[in-house]
Amino acid sequence: MTTIALPARNEIRNNAATVLAFAAGMIALPFVFGNGYYLNTLVFVAILALPALGLSLLSGLSGQLAISHGAFFALGAYGSSILAVRLGIDPAISTILAQFIVAAIAAAIGAVVLRLRSHYLAIATLSFAIIVELLIEEWSSVTGGMQGMIGIPPYEIAGMSLTSDKAVYLVYWPITILMLWFALNLSVSRVGRALRAIREGEPIVDSLGIRAANYKIGVYVVSSVFAGLGGSLYAHFVGFVTPATGSLMFAIDIIMVLALGGFDRLWGALVGVALITLLNEYALGFADYKRIFLGVALIAVMLVFPRGLLPGIIDLVGSGLRKGGADARRA
Amino acid sequence: MLELANISVSYGFISALKDVSLNVDEGEIVALIGSNGAGKSTLINTCAGLVRPGGGEIRLRDRALLKTPSYKRAELGIAVVPENRRLFGEMSVRDNLCLGAFSRSSMGRMPDLKQDIEMVFALFPRLAERQSQRAMTMSGGEQQMLAIGRALMSRPQIILMDEPSIGLAPKIVARIFEVIRQLREQGKTILLAEQNAAASLRIADRAYVLELGRITMQGKASELWEQDKIRKLYLGENKT
Repeated sequence: MTTIALPARNEIRNNAATVLAFAAGMIALPFVFGNGYYLNTLVFVAILALPALGLSLLSGLSGQLAISHGAFFALGAYGSSILAVRLGIDPAISTILAQFIVAAIAAAIGAVVLRLRSHYLAIATLSFAIIVELLIEEWSSVTGGMQGMIGIPPYEIAGMSLTSDKAVYLVYWPITILMLWFALNLSVSRVGRALRAIREGEPIVDSLGIRAANYKIGVYVVSSVFAGLGGSLYAHFVGFVTPATGSLMFAIDIIMVLALGGFDRLWGALVGVALITLLNEYALGFADYKRIFLGVALIAVMLVFPRGLLPGIIDLVGSGLRKGGADARRA
Repeated sequence: MLELANISVSYGFISALKDVSLNVDEGEIVALIGSNGAGKSTLINTCAGLVRPGGGEIRLRDRALLKTPSYKRAELGIAVVPENRRLFGEMSVRDNLCLGAFSRSSMGRMPDLKQDIEMVFALFPRLAERQSQRAMTMSGGEQQMLAIGRALMSRPQIILMDEPSIGLAPKIVARIFEVIRQLREQGKTILLAEQNAAASLRIADRAYVLELGRITMQGKASELWEQDKIRKLYLGENKT
């Protein structure tokens, strides 16, 4: 009898091993290389990876595109900040409350829009992003308007404030890695398989027992909470938020990061964010030309590498190596 | 088992089914034959809940289905082998089969799919060889086998097949009909919509003839087979 390998269980085991190895490496990093400014940069990678992973779940797994991840990042940042500063709620609790707000708004948008076909989501979320930006700028009694908000308290763990880069690093990276692990497992689970089926756009998915509309709303909510959590972590790290936090441009940057790292790869989202953040910080003048670079990358992706720039290059190099190997054998 | 009473369906001003009544009893193959545009697919999709009828009643084991959404009907045991297969082409053969069992699984609990996949592979050994291949890369016949396998994975009460022979070479068609006959021997209940009247009447117990959205003839498959009108309409045989 032919052996039948059921995919999910093996893949979940493999994911656990890879993620654990990655987590061990990241946690060891400050102990090996000591403190330094690089930890600050890596904290931003951990934060920005969250909206990227969220969008990767939505676009890679279920094939939808939303332009609201900047807005939900802002809602996570402002939501948690307003609760902590204006109402004096503990930052950890305000962060969790902010995610409920994000989830409720995402569910409401999803319930209205996702019953229609997919590109309506992009248009509707674009308008939503504009509304959020205007709201943050104009509702100054609550949001601080154009000046933004300052004095946002850091998280406290066992009476210790997370203020040093190293302390924040050691708390934020485990959170991001846990979310990555969740996303990886979701994508190989039964729910993930249903989402991939929905992505293929066959109207018959419902007749297999898959309630497509609800799954689409569900993945949009989860994806938005990833962005919201990133926003909250951001606000309590840098201590201030402004309307530029999670602007529309931010949402577009996240889409470009996915174009770089690959739309259907969760690890690719992480690599894309790391690459852009590190280039931004260490390549002199890169920040000025970032959007040109990302724009060119996006065009290259659309024309040549539909699955994303890095996966495309890896495939190209891989096939080149195989070809080279074959040539060498012939010679 | 499955009963349709006075079902009417229209798409806008165009009426696709008019006052259609039929029933399928447990363990039988019922053929629904008709030419292109007769309303066969509309009828299958109505049973699956993908099309809403304007009037009438559908019952599965005396349970009214008219307001039951499609995903729920799958859970109640209606499986579809859709026209043109409608596989998930980017996904592997195995993933397609697992999706077929979706209606049996619940949150966090995967049913034991291994046994069911083995059953499908026993029926179609070719699929075992191709289990990791993407569905879209297979031949039409293999895809049809996968579509039938996917439907079987849900352990359905009744299987609705919409033109399983469409676009396939005669040899493959013969193989598919042979499998459908085998499924009946295993006790499966099947509603088979087909243009291929000759092949379907040969394996069916009973049959309905659908013309322009109305049922014009019905009866035992063997008796319908004897009727001149059927032979003329669907086999192109002229009186000599």
